Amino acid sequence: MQALLSFDKSPPFAAPLRFFLTAPLFALAAGLLLLAEGADMFASRWSPGLLAATHLITIGFMLQVMLGALIQILPVVAGANLQHPLAVARWLHGGLSIGALLLASGFLFAQPALLSSGALLLGINIAAFLVVTGRALYSVPTTSPTIGGLKFALFGLAGAVALGVVLALALAQGWAVPRPALTDLHAAWALSGWAGILLAAMAYVVVPMFQLTPGYPARPSWWLPRVLLGLVLAWTLAALLEWPLAIALAQGLTALAGIAFAVLTLRLQAQRRRARADATYLYWQLGLYSTIFGLFLPLTATVWPALADWPGYSLLVGILLLVGGFMSFIVGMLYKIVPFLAWLHLQNACGGTAPNMNRLLSENAMQRQFMAHALAVALLLAAVVRPDWLALPAGAALVLANGWLLYNLMGAVGRYRRHLAEKVPA
Amino acid sequence: MIHPKSKQVVDARYMAPPEPFVRTMEMLETLKPGETMLLLLFREPHPLYKVLRQNGHTYETELVADGTFEILIWR
Repeated sequence: MQALLSFDKSPPFAAPLRFFLTAPLFALAAGLLLLAEGADMFASRWSPGLLAATHLITIGFMLQVMLGALIQILPVVAGANLQHPLAVARWLHGGLSIGALLLASGFLFAQPALLSSGALLLGINIAAFLVVTGRALYSVPTTSPTIGGLKFALFGLAGAVALGVVLALALAQGWAVPRPALTDLHAAWALSGWAGILLAAMAYVVVPMFQLTPGYPARPSWWLPRVLLGLVLAWTLAALLEWPLAIALAQGLTALAGIAFAVLTLRLQAQRRRARADATYLYWQLGLYSTIFGLFLPLTATVWPALADWPGYSLLVGILLLVGGFMSFIVGMLYKIVPFLAWLHLQNACGGTAPNMNRLLSENAMQRQFMAHALAVALLLAAVVRPDWLALPAGAALVLANGWLLYNLMGAVGRYRRHLAEKVPA
Repeated sequence: MIHPKSKQVVDARYMAPPEPFVRTMEMLETLKPGETMLLLLFREPHPLYKVLRQNGHTYETELVADGTFEILIWR
């Protein structure tokens, strides 16, 4: 039976691990930047420091983990096998890390050369990833809403990156583009067309599996990715035609679809059969409530546009969706994926004498780190209202939470390596 | 558990991995030629599919309204 457990021709541990261990460094860098810039960063959504920090988090942290995890799990959730996963992982990891650093420094120091080179490096690397992944994914039939969602999400990523490259080059070269409208569109493609669809496609699998909840009902699961991608396409068309009413409608409906998904997930979590509230559950609860509040703001702005004119509006939406929402979902999943992969590889190497997963990374350590992350979210939100008092504590909390995350993940990897070296029954 | 599709059922919907896989492999070992078994899960088990194909089993999957994947397996 143990031999059969090594069924999965999964990529070597090093392929996804390099992404998972680099990501916290970028979020930590965003925290350090906030400590250096202080209240200035909260001046507007266009402040150089804020643009740099946003991309350290969205590319350096979020995209890093998302693409690294995809390389690992495509065979498991879709039966799609990438060619040369380790080589793809190496190139992509380097391109994403250097690209994110160049882009963020380009924003921060207003350096056109850094901006352009960062955007082009990211664009080329992600395009190559899309080709490799697309070939693997489009060769398998769409037999589940997860596979359907993943196929749509790749389109979302392509749109987000294309718009991002255009925006960065426009900023660097001084091209005349309608920057606020294009930036909103870039964010819609990135957060709804890519990250939102990807999250839903993964949630269909991991929420029932990790938290022992009922499954997502089939019909809405098939529809949600189509609706989200359809809305972002409608949004794009409306932006091209400069039709503000249709843009507002697409924005409002996107927010509604996201809220419906979050409420459904909360209902499934309420019916979970795993009694203990573990770190992943806590992270997802924070993520879901944060997302609901984060989407409630643009929904309100659809019917009451004056709200969007308040300077803190974009900041609140961004913090709620990115740090409170996506970062929480991602760390919650990392805390399942890293110990599980370590255990699986040990199991295969040691012939069934691998230590318990909890001994690789203790529940206590994860839950205490969760408190630091929740504190960072709360302080960042409060800092929108009182940046003069709270920008620095919020930066310190972000540094603490992500330093701690890195410490926890490194600890699990260290214990994995010790067991592997000893091959001693635990 | 009785199910209209098969008399032998592994309802793995609320089991943590790797239990669904282990239970399915155990039941497959007891399966006589011509008999079927049914695995219920809230996800599609692609790694299991691969093992089934390698071992010469045939399977047919249906996703039903509540999100259950019904995987009928026979040799």
